[in-house]
Amino acid sequence: MGLAMAGEPVTPQEWSQCLSAVATHQDRAAFARLFEYFAPRVKTFMRRSGADDAAAEELAQETLLMVWRKAAQFDPATAGAGAWIFTIARNLRVDALRRERGVSARAGDIDAEFLIDGAPTPDAVLAGQQADARVRAALKELSAEQKRVIELSFYQERAHGDIAAVLGIPLGTVKSRLRLAMSKLRILLDDLS
Amino acid sequence: MSIQHHPSEELLTAFAAGTLDRGQHIAAATHLGHCPACRGWVKSVENVGGAVLAELPPAPMAPDALSRIAPRLAEAPHQSASRRDGDSLPDVPGLPAFVRALPAEPWVWVAPSLHVRRIELGGTSPTRVFLLKSGPGTKLLPHTHTGFELTCVLTGSFTHDNRRYAVGDFDMGTPEDEHEIEIGTDEACISLVAMQGTLRLKGVFGRLLQPLISF
Repeated sequence: MGLAMAGEPVTPQEWSQCLSAVATHQDRAAFARLFEYFAPRVKTFMRRSGADDAAAEELAQETLLMVWRKAAQFDPATAGAGAWIFTIARNLRVDALRRERGVSARAGDIDAEFLIDGAPTPDAVLAGQQADARVRAALKELSAEQKRVIELSFYQERAHGDIAAVLGIPLGTVKSRLRLAMSKLRILLDDLS
Repeated sequence: MSIQHHPSEELLTAFAAGTLDRGQHIAAATHLGHCPACRGWVKSVENVGGAVLAELPPAPMAPDALSRIAPRLAEAPHQSASRRDGDSLPDVPGLPAFVRALPAEPWVWVAPSLHVRRIELGGTSPTRVFLLKSGPGTKLLPHTHTGFELTCVLTGSFTHDNRRYAVGDFDMGTPEDEHEIEIGTDEACISLVAMQGTLRLKGVFGRLLQPLISF
């Protein structure tokens, strides 16, 4: 890899390239770059989902370890790199919450629960990087507040309550703003197709 | 045959975000197995999740965070154990594989032309999940819910408030609704139901039957 790849990868294309390098020849330098960029952000994701600092750090490490182990399953034709790493973090968070509640489940079980049979329709599911670009374009059209409430939809109810308290608005208002923002996002995504 | 009734965008968003409780997740996944359009939306929300994640402010990791997992990178690549899922519901079509693998009780008679089969979640989900089988032409007693009820049709059809629900259709009942449901006359209707709270049957006959449905 040349100098152009040094430092943090910052574009979805570079993340995809790093994942491919990990998948094809266990490239540790590429993995280190993914780790440096994504582990601290997955940690924030877990913190905002209600995990304490130590648990969030551990979940971030586990997520990146899964990225290393499953890199061969990443298919740039069907998923963007960010979305793929998001689904790994999400599944580990579901797993951690179940353990917390005393339900025994292995991460493999959670993956199966998000695996939906049935062929995707060509017009409903976009190729990975194209979808990534479209979502980014749509998100740019939203107001800062709408982006914020969309981010909220990725956290548990209890976190919604916490953030409603932080923003000083009722939980019901958070929810109605979220509904509006998601509808707008859906219209934008349909328009861009 | 196309699907007419879908889960709300909020419910699908929560599915993709991984924030649904397990019972709700199962009901949504069952619909998704039938509905390419909703699978497309879930995929979009996952892409949004990727964009949100990539733009979060970083939280500092311990300085040795990467070097601490380095030894684990040398372990053999993780293969998800080729576990052979059991199939406790081979006779029920249209269920996602992970639901078919969950332990299920046998069909239990609860009322004339009405059988229920409970699916075990083995945890403390506030939602109960069961299959409901009604004979053709059955009229279910008017009832209300104390919590929400999510239904996905697996075979046959039913009519609820003059709307027809066929295979793959998704119905979301809330505590405010009063439900009067009539099963289609052509064949038996099997639905997957995820329910919080309990059913409340209306009328004298309903009160007599109430103990039977508190399974």
